[in-house]
Amino acid sequence: MLFTTDKQTQENLNIFGKQGMDSVLSLFNRTATNNGAKILEEMFQNPLSNAEAINKRIGVISYLSTVKAVFPFSAEMFDQAEQYLSNTDERTKLSAEKPTLEKKLSNLVAASADQKQIVNGINAIIEIIHELSGLLKNILLLTGSPLNNDPETINIGKLLITEPISLLLQEKPKNKRSKEILSAYDVMLRFSYRETIWQILRYIYHMDVYITIARVAAERGFIFPKALAKEENSIRIEGFYHPQLKNAVANTLTTGADSNVIFLTGANMAGKSTFMKSFGIAMYLAHMGFPVAAKQMEFSVLDGIFTTINLPDNLGIGASHFYAEVLRLKKIAKELSTGKKIFVIFDELFRGTNVKDAYEATIAVTTAFARKLGSVFVISTHIIEAGEILKERCANISFQYLPTRMKGTIPEYTYTLETGITDDRHGMIIINNEGILELLKKGKEIIK
Amino acid sequence: MSFIADKQTLEDLNLLGKYKQQSIFNLFNAVKTAGGEKLLGEMFQNPLNDHEAIDGRSAIFNYFQAKKLSFPFSNEQFSTMEHYLNGVSGNNYPAVLISTLKKKFLDVLIKDEEYQEIKKGLQHTISALNNCKTFIDLLEDSDSPMYDDLLYVKNILVELKLEQLSQESENTRWPLLKVIKVDHLLRTVMKSALTTVLEIFYQLDVYISIAGLAQTKGFSYAKALPKESNILTAVALRHPGIEKAVANPVSFSQNSNMIFLTGANMAGKSTFMKSFGINFYLAHMGFPVAAREMVFSVKDGIYSSINVPDNLNMGYSHFYAEVLRVKKVAEEVSSGKDLVIIFDELFKGTNVKDAYDATLAVTASFSEHRNCLFIISTHIIEAGEALQQTQENIKLLYLPTIMNGSIPTYTYQLQPGISSDRHGMMIIENEGILELLGQV
Repeated sequence: MLFTTDKQTQENLNIFGKQGMDSVLSLFNRTATNNGAKILEEMFQNPLSNAEAINKRIGVISYLSTVKAVFPFSAEMFDQAEQYLSNTDERTKLSAEKPTLEKKLSNLVAASADQKQIVNGINAIIEIIHELSGLLKNILLLTGSPLNNDPETINIGKLLITEPISLLLQEKPKNKRSKEILSAYDVMLRFSYRETIWQILRYIYHMDVYITIARVAAERGFIFPKALAKEENSIRIEGFYHPQLKNAVANTLTTGADSNVIFLTGANMAGKSTFMKSFGIAMYLAHMGFPVAAKQMEFSVLDGIFTTINLPDNLGIGASHFYAEVLRLKKIAKELSTGKKIFVIFDELFRGTNVKDAYEATIAVTTAFARKLGSVFVISTHIIEAGEILKERCANISFQYLPTRMKGTIPEYTYTLETGITDDRHGMIIINNEGILELLKKGKEIIK
Repeated sequence: MSFIADKQTLEDLNLLGKYKQQSIFNLFNAVKTAGGEKLLGEMFQNPLNDHEAIDGRSAIFNYFQAKKLSFPFSNEQFSTMEHYLNGVSGNNYPAVLISTLKKKFLDVLIKDEEYQEIKKGLQHTISALNNCKTFIDLLEDSDSPMYDDLLYVKNILVELKLEQLSQESENTRWPLLKVIKVDHLLRTVMKSALTTVLEIFYQLDVYISIAGLAQTKGFSYAKALPKESNILTAVALRHPGIEKAVANPVSFSQNSNMIFLTGANMAGKSTFMKSFGINFYLAHMGFPVAAREMVFSVKDGIYSSINVPDNLNMGYSHFYAEVLRVKKVAEEVSSGKDLVIIFDELFKGTNVKDAYDATLAVTASFSEHRNCLFIISTHIIEAGEALQQTQENIKLLYLPTIMNGSIPTYTYQLQPGISSDRHGMMIIENEGILELLGQV
């Protein structure tokens, strides 16, 4: 089964970001090759929902990180090789015959660009095969490498030692080659064994991605999560933080069958949204088998992730904010009703309606969520009265809050999770700090 | 001091912008000439804040509406004349002579088109000016509010000896020297006079087209009063851009300077507020308004806060963006200006509880500025109940929802009081969310 998520979630978590803006993807998007970047993006589009596949990918990346693997190819080689391979015109085959005098002369005046490209392409492929052989021998297939059990790596390893690819390894990369040899290689690489060469290149692009991720993990101090079986129903994540923030504060959280709903309270700027985003991003990356910004992480694999952090009003089509929230909720409820186990984040549930409705709706919806034991929910709200009722009704809700410490009239935030419910609010403090009410009062007196 | 309406207000009310769909400018842009359009744009950019000037302008519209005239040119005719008059052959007779002779020579020699263009432009212009004259004669009554301007145009046209010119221009074989002489007359000697004539016709274009629009749409003219009177009443006020818009009465006075508006989510709160803002703005331009009757004391400006943009790039939350907007308005209000203030869904960017406290405190403080008029809407109906206890100058109004079984319908008619329509749970039930969650 595929891992389900949607565009809104990816926007909330800033997975892809807007053109040219920083995003979670851009943290990792440092591959040497363009095709590597494409594969990376596909991985971001399609997280995994299978513990085995996740752990396998984590194993490979973490191994590459420990051995400090370096991608030995230059991107230029691939440009030349690909340009060469994509030219499938039979008429451009190199000829083995001795050129006529006329041709020799015209080649002397201006060498055919086509021919030059072909010769460069052949040389680039020879060089790539050499480098790959070295990479396999020195890193990928060392004893202890998880890639020893990877069918594709084994397959590629075999390819390199069987003819005709093995012939390339006997060539010296920088040597000048005769017309006859070049012509033979041309037919082999570009026509008879074209697919094999592409397969090798694709393998290298994947390795580009893994090596890049491993390097980013090492540079940023990300750790490798451990995927648990679905049935375990638990998430334990220690010291996680927002990977895009500098000096981000770390938090620790555990969810399980007895605490699959996190009821989060806290003042406006206490960091609820950031906390939720950090948690969401960690879960998203973990399901891709990628390193996460945390100290330690274990998680049961889920079937999808849905977040609602900055819900856009769709005023253009006449839907109000409240209605947009309801529709979003309906979408999530539908997913849940198919029996999927999903990870749900809902920031400031029902803020688009009046106090009483928000109170009733929060209780009704949270209670219903709490019955979905296999799924995990993080819900933030200011309706603390709802929390009191929920405490009595459901045993599996974990109440957490982000505190505010008042220093005189200036609020300070610890950004560190504490257990319980808080009624910290300071909408009025912000208004008072801006001096709006005094302004109006003073203005009034002056006019009088 | 000019009338104040900042960028956000103009955008909230969608007032300006030729290239914006459904902008109020486009609604009124039925002018025939490019110069008229520019003039209309200037009027939209600069509403008036002097009650006599406002009444003066609306009187002109009214006059033309009563006359039921139509502008005597098509856009093409007029622009040919503009184009011709904006060009020039030379600053004095010899220069015109030489330049035109050169063109004639090229015409004969290589069939260059410039000479023919001059000749054609000349003929068009003469017939267009003739049209002007016939048209002006229709407006000869001395009570015309543009009497002086029109007299000026008339004198110029008489000075040109137009009749003689136009008879001659019928003759297709115009001798070269005649062309040169008339060209020199129109484009060099009379240039500035004719530019003034064009300008006056741009004005006529605007007045006539707006008056025509007012007639077909059933708009009326608001009566402006001096600032001190501090009242505003409108009968059957509606949105000018919406067909079959529902009309509502509005009234403000010194002792009732705030409307506190509630209603369900789709009951029409924003539309009502926009209708009010737009008509208030149009009234200050001296333009026809979408109301049966309207009387208003002139104000210094208008501030609205209907769609506050989040400035998340600058790190502001929606709530903080709203607070800053409120602060800006508070500064303006407390500096003693007479303003109209529209706040839609005040503090919707925060949780319901903060919104409740903030709405209560801010609304009460604002309402004490009796020289300003306010419309404030919110979904926090609980705040209205509390305000009712303390402020007698706040008028509570709501837009009702009538439930037709489980389907809400809306009347868009204002009712006194606070909405008791709480459909939150009903919408959740209609969408069947709790049932969906109940399934395993």
